Amino acid sequence: MPNYIVKRMLQMIPTVLGVILITFILFNVAGGSPALKVMGPHAQADTLEAFDEQRGFNKPLFFGFRTKTRALEDSDFERTAGDWLKQDGVTHTNGMIVLAEGGSYSIPLKFSLRDDCEYELVMEGRTDGFPMLGKNKLGFSRDWKKVTLRLQTPGKIVPVDAPVEIRSIRLRRLMNSPFDSQLLFYFRQLARLDFGVSHSTNQRVSKLLADGIVPSLMLTVPIFFIGLVTSIALSLFCAFWRDTWVDRFFVILSVALMSINYLVYIVAGQYFLAFKADWFPVWGFEDARYLALPVLIGVISGLGGSLRFYRTIMLDEAHRDYVRTARAKGVSKSRVLFRHVLKNAMIPIITNVVIAIPFLYTGSLLLESFFGIPGLGYLGITAINSSDVDVVRGIVLIGAFMFVIANLLTDICYAAVDPRVKLK
Amino acid sequence: MDRPNTDKGQSLWSDAWRRLKTNRIAMVCLGIIVLFTLCALYGEVVHQYYQAKDQTPFYKLTNLDAAYRPPSAAHWMGTDALGRDVMQRLIQGTRIAYKVGIITSLIAIPIGVFLGCLAGYFGGRVDDFIVWLYSTFASIPGLLFILAIAMVVGRGLTGVYLGIGLTTWVGICRLIRGEVIKHKEQAYVQAAHALGLSWPRILFRHILPNVFHVIIVTFTLRFPAAVGTEVFMSFLGIGVQNDPSWGIMINSARMRLWQGVWWEMTFVTLAIFLLVLAFNLLGDALRDALDPRLRTGGN
Repeated sequence: MPNYIVKRMLQMIPTVLGVILITFILFNVAGGSPALKVMGPHAQADTLEAFDEQRGFNKPLFFGFRTKTRALEDSDFERTAGDWLKQDGVTHTNGMIVLAEGGSYSIPLKFSLRDDCEYELVMEGRTDGFPMLGKNKLGFSRDWKKVTLRLQTPGKIVPVDAPVEIRSIRLRRLMNSPFDSQLLFYFRQLARLDFGVSHSTNQRVSKLLADGIVPSLMLTVPIFFIGLVTSIALSLFCAFWRDTWVDRFFVILSVALMSINYLVYIVAGQYFLAFKADWFPVWGFEDARYLALPVLIGVISGLGGSLRFYRTIMLDEAHRDYVRTARAKGVSKSRVLFRHVLKNAMIPIITNVVIAIPFLYTGSLLLESFFGIPGLGYLGITAINSSDVDVVRGIVLIGAFMFVIANLLTDICYAAVDPRVKLK
Repeated sequence: MDRPNTDKGQSLWSDAWRRLKTNRIAMVCLGIIVLFTLCALYGEVVHQYYQAKDQTPFYKLTNLDAAYRPPSAAHWMGTDALGRDVMQRLIQGTRIAYKVGIITSLIAIPIGVFLGCLAGYFGGRVDDFIVWLYSTFASIPGLLFILAIAMVVGRGLTGVYLGIGLTTWVGICRLIRGEVIKHKEQAYVQAAHALGLSWPRILFRHILPNVFHVIIVTFTLRFPAAVGTEVFMSFLGIGVQNDPSWGIMINSARMRLWQGVWWEMTFVTLAIFLLVLAFNLLGDALRDALDPRLRTGGN
C-alpha cells in the first residue's frame, strides 16, 4: 500500500506541472503584458514598468539575452518623430529625423535607465561627419548603416562636422542571465507559495483567497449535502417505483430541471420568493437567513443532473443477480433496496462525491455575485471584470490543485477497498 | 410482419433513423430544433442584409415612445425598455446561440477527435502525452477556465468561442480514445493492417466512420451546454457586447421584471428552455438509437 501511494503521488507531479504551464501560457504568453490593459493607454511608462517589474512581466518569456524596455519605444520615424521634436535643432522628414550640427541631443527616454544592468542601443543612420554618443564614437558613415552599442547610461548625441540622419532606433535591456525569465520567476513565486498581488485592491492574493473561502464554503457545503441527500433519496424512490408513472414523472422532471438556465432559477427565486412572497431577504450576507435562498436555488438547480445520475446507478445495481437472489429468498423490496442496492451503489456515488469536493471551493460564481456573498466566486467575477490577472490565476491554480489532490484521495480510497486496483 | 425490407436501408444510419422515428418525444424535439434553426437562419439573413447595407438593423433601432408595450398584434412579444421588438431580438439571440453552439463545436470536436484517435491508436508515449494533456485540462475548474480565456482574449464573441471551444474537447477526446482502443483489436482493422494500409488511412477511413455516432451524440449534448455558457457569459458582461444575446436580454429584463414588465423575461426564458430541452432529449434519444449499449435508464 505505501508503494502504491508513493507511485500515485509521483503521477501527480506531471499534472501539477501541466496546470502551472497552462496558466503560464494563458496569462503570460497569450495574454501578453497586462499592464496596458489594466492601467489604460494613458498611463505613465514608469508606472507600467513598475507594474511589470513587480509581476516579472519585463523579462524574456522562457529564455533570452535581451528584453524590451518601456523607456524608449521602437521607432522607424515613419509617421512621427515623437518626443525628439521637443529639442531644438531636430527636424522630421521622409521617415527619418535630422539632428542639426552644433547641438547636443539626448535620447528622449521616458524614465532613467536602471544601473544594475546594461542596455543595447541599435540605430540606423548616416552622416558625413564624425558624431559622438557620450564618450563613444557613433560609427555612422555616408551610407545607411546599422550600429549596435552597449551602454549603461546613454549620453548625448553630438553631431560633429555634419548633421546626423537617423532612420530607426530601438533600445533593449540586456539580461544578466539568459535564464532569468518569466517562467523561472513564476516557478520561484509559486515555490514561495506567493500568488502575487491584486492590482485593484493592492492586497496579497493569498489573503484575498483566505478571506473568500469561508463565505464560499458556507454557501456550497449546505448545497452539497442537502443536494446529495435529496437526490439519493429521490433516486431510491424512483428505483423502488421504477417503470411506473412516479418514476417517469421524476425522469421528466429531472430533464426539465436540467434544461432551465441557472440564471432563470436565480432571477425567478429572487423575484417570486424574496420580492413577491417576502420569505427571504433579497440580497446581502449578514446572518444565516441570508443564505437560505441561495442554498435553496443551488439545491434545485443541481437536482436534475444528480437525480438522473444516481437513478441510473441505482437501476444498474437493481438489475444485478444478487438482487434477484435476495428477492427470490423472500427479502422485501424495500429491504433489498436499502440494505443491498444502496450499499453496492456507494462506490460510484463516493467517486462522484469526492470529485465534486474541489468544486465546493470555487463556490458558485453566479449565486455569490447575485446575492452579494463575498466568497471566491464573487472575487473571481470581479477580478475577471477588472482584468486582475494575479487573482484569477490564483483561484484557477488553487482550484486545479485541489482537484488533483481529490483525485489522489479517491484513488487511495479505492485501493484500500479493492486490492485489484493496485495491480493495474 | 413489420420486419424491414432487407433489400434497402440496413446501414447503421437508416437503422437508427427507423428506431428514432418510433420515439415520439424525439420527433417533437427534432421539430422544435428545425424551427429554431429556421429562426437562426432568418436572423442571419437579416443580420447580413443590414451589414451589407451598412445600416443599423431594425432590431437595434430605439423608439422610446413605444417602450414597454405588452404583447399585441403589432409586437407579438411586446417591446423592451428602448421600444425594440422583443421577438426580433429573440430571433437574433437564436442566431448568436447557434453560432456559439456550432463554432465552439467546430473548435472542440476536431481537437478532441484528433487527439483521441491518435492516443487510442498509437498507445505508448503518444497516449501518455495526450492523457496527460487532457487530465491537466480537466483539473482546471471549468467555468473559471472559460472566463479566464475570455478575459485574456478580450470581451466579445471571439472570447466566447475560444473559451468554450478550447476547454470542452476533453470529454469527446476521452470517449473517442476509448472507442478507438476497442476497435483497434477488431478483425477489420487487423485486415487493413495485413493489407499494408497506412495508419492515417486505417485510422480516419476505417475506424473513424465506425465511431462517428459518438461524435453526433456528443455534438447534440454539448450544443445546449455551450449555449447555456454563452448566456451566462453575456449576462456577466464578458460575452457578446452589442448584439441582442439571450444573456444580455435576461440582464436587461430582470431589472424591469420587478415593475411588472413580464413579457421579455418570460419569452427569453422560454426560448432558452425549449432549445436546451429539445437538444438534451434528442441527444438522449439519439444515443439510444445509435448505440443501444449506451442506454441511459431502465426502460
